[in-house]
Amino acid sequence: MSSLALMRLLESAPLRYDAGMRLLTLGKIDEIRAALAELAVAAPGARVLEIGCGTGAVTEKLVARGACVTAYDQNPEMLEQARSRLKDSPRDAVKLVERTAAEIDSCTERSFDAVVACLSLSEMSRSERDFVLAQAFRALRPGGILAIADEARPRAAALRLWLWLLRVPQAAFAWLIVGSVSRPIPNLVKEVNAAGFHVRYERRWLLQSLALVTAERPL
Amino acid sequence: MIPDTVSEHLRDVLQTGFRLAPWPTEPGLRAIGNPGPLSPVLVTCNFDLTVRRVTRAMRGVDAWLVVAPTSGINVWCAASGGHLSTHQVVTALKTSGVAQRVQHRRAILPQLAATGVIAREVERRSRWQVKFGPVYASDIPRYLAQHENKSEDMRHVRFGIRERLEMAVSWATPMALLAAIPTMIFRPSWLLPLVALICALAVAVFTIYDRLSARRRLYLTSAALLLAVAITALAGGGIAALVTAALASVGGTALLTFDYSGSTPIEGGSHFKEASWHIQLDLDRCKGVYFCWQVCPEACFDKREDIRKVAITRSDSCIRCGACVVQCPTDALYFENSSGARIEPESIRRFKLNLLGQRTVDMGGIDKAPESPDPV
Repeated sequence: MSSLALMRLLESAPLRYDAGMRLLTLGKIDEIRAALAELAVAAPGARVLEIGCGTGAVTEKLVARGACVTAYDQNPEMLEQARSRLKDSPRDAVKLVERTAAEIDSCTERSFDAVVACLSLSEMSRSERDFVLAQAFRALRPGGILAIADEARPRAAALRLWLWLLRVPQAAFAWLIVGSVSRPIPNLVKEVNAAGFHVRYERRWLLQSLALVTAERPL
Repeated sequence: MIPDTVSEHLRDVLQTGFRLAPWPTEPGLRAIGNPGPLSPVLVTCNFDLTVRRVTRAMRGVDAWLVVAPTSGINVWCAASGGHLSTHQVVTALKTSGVAQRVQHRRAILPQLAATGVIAREVERRSRWQVKFGPVYASDIPRYLAQHENKSEDMRHVRFGIRERLEMAVSWATPMALLAAIPTMIFRPSWLLPLVALICALAVAVFTIYDRLSARRRLYLTSAALLLAVAITALAGGGIAALVTAALASVGGTALLTFDYSGSTPIEGGSHFKEASWHIQLDLDRCKGVYFCWQVCPEACFDKREDIRKVAITRSDSCIRCGACVVQCPTDALYFENSSGARIEPESIRRFKLNLLGQRTVDMGGIDKAPESPDPV
């Protein structure tokens, strides 16, 4: 055992992200990503902003549905993977940008039809999430869709207790395997509503621990 | 309920012992003392222990503390490993609400963040001017009293006995715990000697090893291990001694092949190929802004004010943290190895290829210069 081995393990996390996430979600992640893309893209040509695209797994599905995607991620190694995954996409269909989520404040107001975030809000602090949701509201056109898939706190008390007991080994595993430092979002629907959106749809997977929420910016 | 001070001390002990793991605290804005719209703004990481130490160090000072989301990792490790970069500082300045509390737009970052944070990028993307303050939180009050002027001693990493022991504790605790579990089950009587041996080795590593050559390290470790085996053989003998010898050899090999770079701020990866890379200066490009001189934790640079240039006068002390390369606005600094290959500044900025942190990007193949990020 050497510190180098640990460093290498941690640093190579981006390379394992997709496989690791599949493992951590017991294979559900692909289904969730597909559902997310389907709900976010109403029609081909939709302008979509993706927050935290990671390796581009959701981006790819959005592009396949005909969306024009601007994807943000702050991790250059993740973006490299997204870039190679999306290299055959139509020109102008996707723009990958090395930016932090908070920088959506530089987007033009009402310039997107949808804002998508998959497993990125749970990596943010509460103040960061509030800021990003408020800015997503500003960036969306009235009637535009916010679509989020993320770790959520289960509603049933027994499931909450069970997941709380699993939390430490699960968090350690997630940190070592995929470099994730996420925390389940306590009440995603409430936070989304508080930012001014109207929640339209919610679905849960894996003992309610993964949530898919879509909401609309009111007209 | 546990009183606050007791819980603080408990957390100090726990987080020092296990400081190799991330200990996140909620990022965001904290008021220290009674700050107002003109009070200084300081930025730090969200490693719980650091936030408490900075807060304690600043008793009697009124300031705003912006805690950046660095995945619960300390400033030095986060900056060299990509968790405290321009992005996290921009995020913290934008989302913490500090802009609504102050009338100015000047933030002070810890100097050891200079490896990861590109000051001029933060300014461009957040409209906040940032500068690198002292290495140590304990120097912040004096730094502020000196009108944000860093004196010579505030720029250098000292790595005194206290820090050395702290690092020894942080390595010995998880190792001792790992060794203790099987020992408790199979040979409880060995527990104390084993833990003592681990602690002694950890202290030796962090107090003596960096002053010794690789050959002397080998001799010293071999002697210590032989002694341990001899004592065990005299005490128990037989198979038990053989098992101990085997375990001790594994432990000894681990120690010898250890890469201490990053664990100490004074060692630059001497066991691995990083050691063949050296910092180089392109004198024509140097415009004498002295950012390198300001952020180097090892005082490798000297100012040559007569010709408005710097000189690398102590390259032997260089730990390849890359802070100077990252901050140089004219790309006058870069890493070069003995065969003349270069790592360009942009690769170091982008992939945190500082030779302390990221090693997964193959240094031979990084010339595929990725496109620079374009704003929306």
